[in-house]
Amino acid sequence: MTKYFHNSKPEMCKIIKIMEENEDTRTFSIKLPFTPKKPKPGQFVMLWVPGIDEFPIGVAGIKDQILELCVAKVGEGTKALFELEQGDLVGIRGFFGKAFRIKKSITHIIVGGGYGMPPLKYLIEEIIKGRTEQDEIFVFEGARTKEKLLYVELLEKWKKEKKIDFFPFTDDGSYGKKGFPTEGVKEYLNKDNEKSVVIYSAGPEKMMKILFDICKNYNHIIDIQMSLADRHMRCGFGLCGACVVDPEGLRICVDGPVFSREQLEKMDDFGNYSRLPSGKKEEI
Amino acid sequence: MNLETKIGKITLRNPLILASGVLGSSYSSLNRIYNSGFGAVITKSIGIDERKGNPNPSVFFLHEIKSAINSVGLANPGYKLYREELKILIEKEVPTIVSIFGGNIDEFSEVLEGLDDLPFLCFELNLSCPNTEKEGLAVGTDPQLVYEITKEMQKRTSKPIWVKLTPNITDIFEIAEAAIKGGASALVAINTLKAMIIDIYSKKPILGFKRGGLSGAAIKPIGIRFVYDLFERFGETIPIVGVGGINSGYDVIEYLLAGASAVEVGTAIGIKYPENKTNLFIQQIKKYMHEQKVESISELIGGAHND
Repeated sequence: MTKYFHNSKPEMCKIIKIMEENEDTRTFSIKLPFTPKKPKPGQFVMLWVPGIDEFPIGVAGIKDQILELCVAKVGEGTKALFELEQGDLVGIRGFFGKAFRIKKSITHIIVGGGYGMPPLKYLIEEIIKGRTEQDEIFVFEGARTKEKLLYVELLEKWKKEKKIDFFPFTDDGSYGKKGFPTEGVKEYLNKDNEKSVVIYSAGPEKMMKILFDICKNYNHIIDIQMSLADRHMRCGFGLCGACVVDPEGLRICVDGPVFSREQLEKMDDFGNYSRLPSGKKEEI
Repeated sequence: MNLETKIGKITLRNPLILASGVLGSSYSSLNRIYNSGFGAVITKSIGIDERKGNPNPSVFFLHEIKSAINSVGLANPGYKLYREELKILIEKEVPTIVSIFGGNIDEFSEVLEGLDDLPFLCFELNLSCPNTEKEGLAVGTDPQLVYEITKEMQKRTSKPIWVKLTPNITDIFEIAEAAIKGGASALVAINTLKAMIIDIYSKKPILGFKRGGLSGAAIKPIGIRFVYDLFERFGETIPIVGVGGINSGYDVIEYLLAGASAVEVGTAIGIKYPENKTNLFIQQIKKYMHEQKVESISELIGGAHND
């Protein structure tokens, strides 16, 4: 029988492994109390560091009872998480939100920047698993420097195995091409516009907005799916309203975090402003 | 069959009002809930200055009792910024009630006067939020303060003043009487109940603020009792708005029978498809009225008191 994580208080889970991805990013393997209904790429959990903070983290992978969460040290809560060790407990609520919808027999273009990569890594794994001969996978990743690029070894390995094509970009040119992944996508779209394409993206909203504005002009792009999970959230289940976006009143935590082209097109907030915990608007 | 209801001078298309604190930070979610079929919506409680509220976890659900616990702590952008949200709601003709809070008369006055020029329905005074050290709770448990604040606010505006009461008190009649004497146009009962959850493995309170307030199905019988008691004592004097744990159209009917003229719904809306829930509520209310051969909401109000 499939067990569900109920929408309830945090389930206490043990950290069983911690892996350093780079100087400020780590992957935590967390043992869930049972094997749950499998979360989909793009869904997230609320991760509680007892006594300190709770914040949303996208699922980076799952195997049976072992949940993989890749976390960057960005604030008080994540800093406290980095002080925890193997065997320590964290609380998990979830799985929340709408996932990426994987289309079949198309060209998948996956564009990630910085901390948007963990859910995309899980997405790529799932696309590879279910692929047909017609599926093609192109991954564009951007970061400031070589050190900041996530999953490079894994992605290069998949490229070598001809599972994906991989195009890394860095601001300083220390790995891959110098520049932004959006430029790589544009170049690709201009070259090949025969086959149906779906764009999947997660990362800095500014980057996604630029990407969206590029992609909306191509007719062979059948959907653009972007995750806005990087916003302030409280409840995770659609009650509090902390993550609402204008003008339709969509909630990032249940109506998103992955939104479709149609939804993004109408969204005033997208790429422009987000809301602080007080509800005050802040420019992105 | 007519679902319209009157709370004093205010007429709503049906008795469903979105409770304060739920989806109330942006005009867009308030507009969405109104369009789903509610009679009116209430904003998040607004104060003078921007407040980021308490640290997370600040809201989570308790599956086993279909309830939520929260310690959001009056997060709001301050009335000056919130005006922008209100203007859009008014432009869209959403019947809006503005919840305000303050630590004393001066603070309440500043917020009230800073918003009063906008043509929304009325004010709801949040005298009873359990999630702050000073504001709210202390105010709402002191009859003299409740009287003075209500009186002063009533003097400063021509809009109706609703007073939201706390259940975290020994004698609700004393406070209700103070609000009535101060000139309240309606009593709203109840706010959340003081509550707390401790994780037994980390041995820590789960809420970031440690203590919080309980809402949802678990508190419905408590809300019903308060509304019943208030109606019995003051039903002739002042309309009552019932709040607490409403999760179906039948729960709405129960509150009406206890004596409420309208109800506020909060926790039940925290789901994937609030639109479906609103539809269900309305259908259930209509079904009941049809079965019971009831033509209007007013026939139900206080219906459980006819012994």
